Amino acid sequence: MMIDIKDLNIVFGSGHNQIHAVRDVNLEVAEGESYGLVGESGSGKSTILRAMVGINAHWTGSIRVDGQLLTPKRTVASRKHMQMVFQDPYGSLHPRRTVDDTLKEPLIIHNLDDRDDRIVRILKEVGLGPEFRFRYPHQLSGGQRQRVAIARALILEPRVILLDEPTSALDVSVQAEILNLLSALRKTHGLTYIMVSHDLAVVGHLCSKIAVMNRGVVIEEMTEEQMRTGEVAHDYTRQLWTASHGYDRTALKSFKEFA
Amino acid sequence: MNEMRMTGFSSDPSAQEPLISVRDLHVRFTTPKGPVHAVRGVSFDLGRERLGIVGESGSGKSQTGRALLRLTAGNGSIDASKMEFDGLDLMKASEKKMRSIRGSRISMIMQDPKYSLNPVLTVGAQIAESCRRHEDISKADAKKRALAMLDTVRIREPEKVYNLYPHQVSGGMGQRIMIAMMLITNPQVMIADEPTSALDVTVQMQVLALLDDMVRERGMGLVLISHDLQLVSSFCDRVLVMYGGRIMETLDAKNLDQAQHPYTKGLLNCLPRLNGRHDDLPVLKRDPAWLTEGGDAEGGLA
Repeated sequence: MMIDIKDLNIVFGSGHNQIHAVRDVNLEVAEGESYGLVGESGSGKSTILRAMVGINAHWTGSIRVDGQLLTPKRTVASRKHMQMVFQDPYGSLHPRRTVDDTLKEPLIIHNLDDRDDRIVRILKEVGLGPEFRFRYPHQLSGGQRQRVAIARALILEPRVILLDEPTSALDVSVQAEILNLLSALRKTHGLTYIMVSHDLAVVGHLCSKIAVMNRGVVIEEMTEEQMRTGEVAHDYTRQLWTASHGYDRTALKSFKEFA
Repeated sequence: MNEMRMTGFSSDPSAQEPLISVRDLHVRFTTPKGPVHAVRGVSFDLGRERLGIVGESGSGKSQTGRALLRLTAGNGSIDASKMEFDGLDLMKASEKKMRSIRGSRISMIMQDPKYSLNPVLTVGAQIAESCRRHEDISKADAKKRALAMLDTVRIREPEKVYNLYPHQVSGGMGQRIMIAMMLITNPQVMIADEPTSALDVTVQMQVLALLDDMVRERGMGLVLISHDLQLVSSFCDRVLVMYGGRIMETLDAKNLDQAQHPYTKGLLNCLPRLNGRHDDLPVLKRDPAWLTEGGDAEGGLA
């Protein structure tokens, strides 16, 4: 197993204001697999990614990546294997750093050489020409920025990439281009993905297995076959699946809240 | 007044006088980087129906919606050979007249309730204010109306929610409060600019169902502006597809799969689907001719 998460619990705050954001989550993702996490806002899906990548150190349980047990405190070397792409390409790139600066920073941190070569090569791989190298984020479109963010994650040659709603800020035509790019990169580099999204169709397109989350709990794991047919075990999953097919007045009557 | 609003109401939208009629609408902005022509000759009629305007960012869909209320930013100018609402020329109406129309006879729901509600007033006070601003009623009556409206938009315990501040309510509830605020004046036309894109899918359905009720029960005309082609086509009666400030195509929502224009087809094709196929998505190829062709300029006409 490339990723093996056991009994992951994440709690924010204390006492009266305590929020149990993730409860007893177990996940297994094989090498080269693309795994999806869906759920509505507040279901804890992004929180899991943030704990994995080390942004949030307050978690209990065990996270293994490629057999290595991760501790809340990370070493520089352990971070190299797992990189993250964030939701909002307008917010995740430094506005006063050129694309070149943005891509060079991880290389400096990890002390890698051949910096020029690596940058030119990675830009080409994400479909940006060398003319983009010395541009600032405001000179790029949303899709181009997200390509830079993907290049930044990929330049360290990681094994695992965590994708947190990578296309939700983009237009559908640009979304298609980014999804195609992500699936091509996974094939050529043998990457393992965990992708978080609120959009079942986007996750269903890229991933072969999907965990459905509600209020911090993984309630069901869906296979490709189930995504096609909608024959799922849990009512909440069925509701989410139905709602993803557009407005349907009759189906709405059966909708309920799941606590 | 109410009687007059209801005359001519029938279930067949094409048989009625349009509520809003727009011909050859242009919106232009002057910016430090030169002029921007955001809306280029848009024409359409709105009856007592659900009309969707779909397009990607920069297609001019929101500017079309804002131009109907003359809410275009200060550096912009609106130009149209005809822009009428219920027999009234919106192009010539005075600012004072526009103020009496906005929020009272034509309302607008904005995308994000977080930014469109006043953070230092309770939500109830804001709903009651919208009522008192347009009608001459007492504070107590306005409160009663606001509570009834909160109930209409399916908020449980309206009495409790009335006294909450915007930061204390969830996104879905905030959007319902916005809708309550906009509906309390019983408008004839509602312009909803991405009313559900900040919401979870299930909440999105509930909010749309509310708008649906208003169209069916009160004979309201609804303009739903959205980037989500699938959602709009499953909800609306008619869909205008916009690109580069022009209407590319007008479709009956149920005939979406028979779309003719290559842009509409391209948009439909690049949507990921739930059928579990992992092939590459067809990428939309834009034809520069779409920006210049006379094309479907009159396409919005019913």
